Amino acid sequence: MVIKRFICSLISLAFFGTGMLMPAQAAMVGTQVYLQASDRHANIAIVDAALLRSDVQQQLSDLGVDVENARQRVAGLPDRDLARLAEEIESMPAGGTSLLAVVGIVFIVLLILEVTGVINIFKGR
Amino acid sequence: MRVAVAAAGVLIALAGCTTGTSIKPTGHAVELTDVPFFSQQRYQCGPAALATVLVDSGVHVSPEDLVPLVYVPDRKGSFQPELKAAARRYDRLPYVLTPEPAALFAELDAGNPVLVLQNLLFDWWPQWHYAVVVGYDPDRQQLVLRSGTTERRIESFRSFFRSWQGAGYWAVVALQPGQIPASAAPDRYVAMAAESESLIPASAMALVLEAGLQAWPDDADMAFAAANHARLQGDLVAAATRYRQALRIEANHVGALNNFSDLLFTEGCIASAGTQIAIARGLVPAGSPLDPVITATAEAIEAAPQTEDQGPLCDSLTAIRPTAPPELILPR
Repeated sequence: MVIKRFICSLISLAFFGTGMLMPAQAAMVGTQVYLQASDRHANIAIVDAALLRSDVQQQLSDLGVDVENARQRVAGLPDRDLARLAEEIESMPAGGTSLLAVVGIVFIVLLILEVTGVINIFKGR
Repeated sequence: MRVAVAAAGVLIALAGCTTGTSIKPTGHAVELTDVPFFSQQRYQCGPAALATVLVDSGVHVSPEDLVPLVYVPDRKGSFQPELKAAARRYDRLPYVLTPEPAALFAELDAGNPVLVLQNLLFDWWPQWHYAVVVGYDPDRQQLVLRSGTTERRIESFRSFFRSWQGAGYWAVVALQPGQIPASAAPDRYVAMAAESESLIPASAMALVLEAGLQAWPDDADMAFAAANHARLQGDLVAAATRYRQALRIEANHVGALNNFSDLLFTEGCIASAGTQIAIARGLVPAGSPLDPVITATAEAIEAAPQTEDQGPLCDSLTAIRPTAPPELILPR
């Protein structure tokens, strides 16, 4: 259990430490940065679309996660987590024969919900 | 691909789960017979499907030209971001549709072929496939696709919508700069424009934003995007006009407040810049991704000698133009 938890923290660190869109010192906000930071509705729509995929739903329910519940929780996430979740999902591959995309989406959704304390799949129950 | 498609037909019949489709488009059957067909080699459905929509929108290109841009041999397929990037290389705007059947029908009604992603096999063993929808028949509950090696593939609503749902209803149309998609939603359109900034020529970008503002004159984000583009092009007066337009629509638009303030500051209009950024600072919660940049703008302005507006452009940048409709002041 401790090891599981450690690994989870490690992954979270790696995940959150990279790929963050930081405006830095530049004093002008680019359109895309602004939209990503502020457009909550669009982000919810992106995540929702991913959660509506039947393959994603299958994986989630195999893991014992109630999809409807997950969707509601996603809608309640803070802007920052929501933006990152949407961004990660949008950069997922979906060409050719690949299980990676589904596994990736499911993993990221669970990780975000886990880190924000909504569920505790990785810690067991 | 042919084998996979045939197999999918059998397997989908066996699968028989998920929701029954209750999709009832109204109107007549539509088929875009002029859309070209490129027979697809095994695994190369991405380049062929993209070439289909690009050629239909007036680009001279072949699937072979697109293979190095979008095909990933290791994965025997193409990624959606790469398809979008390749479209931009040919000065076309990849507009991702609202994920619902109504958007697909609206585009077909308007004469736009739609590139779709499908999952032809199972959820647990997906077979991703790109195809182009070119028509539908509401009475027969069928769609017509350019798919694989089949020029006119007929799929029932039932099996198509299942395979499309399996891919998150992902669908894209290739727009000419200035063209508004039939199913367009302003937030998706402005996001498409923002994604394309600096990836397509500035003149094309101006057309995209001009069309967006004409379609949605009351969209603050659209005016904000046009303002940012004008500023990047060095058209400062046009940028200021657009920032003010965005703020008239949405007084609390933090992005417009910050960028307008920054523009005023760099042009020596310190007093006006200070007024704008003070409003922005009061609106942005700590922890917002925009907080660092707004704080940086505010601190830069505070550190400057506090004077009246002195720059030569200040009058034009802050001027209120009560009579001129904003649509006519677009950057060229």
